[in-house]
Amino acid sequence: MSVLEWLAAALLAAGAFFFLAGTVGLLRFPDALARLHALTKADNVGLLLICSGLAVLGGSVRVTGLLLLVWLLAMLASTVSAHLIAGRALADDDTGDPLDEGADERARSEGGT
Amino acid sequence: MNLLIDVLIAIGLVVLAWQALVGGSLFRGIVMFIVFGLTMALAWARLGSPDLAMAEAAIGAGVTGALLMIAYWRLRALGASRPTPRSRLRARLALGVGVLSSVLVAMIGLAAVEAIGPGGEAGQALAAALPATGLGNPITGVLVIFRNLDTLLEVAVLLAAYVASRAALGDDKAALPLPPAQDAPLVGALVAVLAPLTVLVAIYLLKAGSQLPGGAFQAGAVLAAGGVLLMLAGRLHPAPLCGLGLRIALVAGTVVFSGVGIIMLALGQPLLAVPGTWAVYLIETAMMVSIGATLVLLFAGSAGLSGKALR
Amino acid sequence: MSHAEVWVVAAAAVFGIGLYSLLIAAHLLRQLIAIKVMGSAIFLVLVVAAGPIDGALDGLPKALVLTGIVIAISAIAFALALLVRLAEVTGSTSLEDDADDDR
Repeated sequence: MSVLEWLAAALLAAGAFFFLAGTVGLLRFPDALARLHALTKADNVGLLLICSGLAVLGGSVRVTGLLLLVWLLAMLASTVSAHLIAGRALADDDTGDPLDEGADERARSEGGT
Repeated sequence: MNLLIDVLIAIGLVVLAWQALVGGSLFRGIVMFIVFGLTMALAWARLGSPDLAMAEAAIGAGVTGALLMIAYWRLRALGASRPTPRSRLRARLALGVGVLSSVLVAMIGLAAVEAIGPGGEAGQALAAALPATGLGNPITGVLVIFRNLDTLLEVAVLLAAYVASRAALGDDKAALPLPPAQDAPLVGALVAVLAPLTVLVAIYLLKAGSQLPGGAFQAGAVLAAGGVLLMLAGRLHPAPLCGLGLRIALVAGTVVFSGVGIIMLALGQPLLAVPGTWAVYLIETAMMVSIGATLVLLFAGSAGLSGKALR
Repeated sequence: MSHAEVWVVAAAAVFGIGLYSLLIAAHLLRQLIAIKVMGSAIFLVLVVAAGPIDGALDGLPKALVLTGIVIAISAIAFALALLVRLAEVTGSTSLEDDADDDR
């Protein structure tokens, strides 16, 4: 393996580590805001590292530009969706599993069995 | 190593199907179904079909997920009752039927894998005939030239689904409830960036589809995603009347596709012959517009759309 | 196990889960998801059984499945419209009489 390939491998491995950390946080943290914190921060850095690794492997300006676009778009979308989820969690004072929220509301609106 | 990745994705598919379908709340099931669809897209990519991966991610997971979510929201807004769970006996019987059907599918599938072996004859014939069409993507070749009657009927089925939905939902005076638009300042900024970008990506997918993975269906689904975004941000609203432009957009795919085919018949060619690459682009553009418009209207649950100014 | 066998076995399991859920789920929305998941499993079998995974030459089954994905969403969209209408008219989200199910 050449130096560049080693560099790419190191970047990809570091990116995978950040994704792992973010996912562990998503699964282990107690409430919606803490989970968002783990997910958005770790995943944005992880994606940047993965994109950098692929850009090194791709070795052309065009590929690098496309990967940069991918990262920027993912950042933009995750920023806004995290903002929306956090706002909703604060409004509902919902400190539980965001996926359980639907269950509660359904039980309330649809009545018992 | 390669096999390991396939095995992991395959296990993920099975686990996600279970999560989506058995136990848990319905909302959780829908979310898990969307994740299942995205994992299916990974599976298609592993199977060497990026076309299918894009279609599955955009249509199978994205638009289907949006339709399921909006239906879930509407059922809740309507205050529909929750059905009583099934009896225990029925669950046991269902488990038996499920396992048996699973074994049956596995046997058929494994037998087929063994019987056909590498490379079907149809695939080789397709690879041989493709260069004459000027297209580089065999899937686009099949869809627009070799089996285009299927594709025409497929666009017609989508149109029929829209018409049938309109008939089922009835008169539109009380438009179906949409979730309230998000007022957060960031949403407007995101939509302002993403909406033009979806159009750009759709046109790119359409153009790339003749040589590379992509095509009218993926492009139409991306357009529809842009429409759904605009609707959720409150920039686009359901309207009781279907305007002329929208009507044209709805039928464009069917009309242009069959129109070109009939004109070719009149010129002494076989029915639905495609005269050249320009006609492929024309047909695909019309199909993209139709697919996008139909999917957005199915999401809106209304006859038409109105783009009111910002509140 | 070869690649193709892995996918076929997974698709078979997914199909079984789908049919099981279709039979036990009472909510029509869940049954619709089950039908869609069963369809995805069959698409997987179709593409895998058709030919070489590495060569990726055979566009025929893939075009077939692409058509299938669009047909599936058409059917689901229509079914969802029927379901919303059913809930509007009867207030129920199941096709069965609740009284029948209790027995």
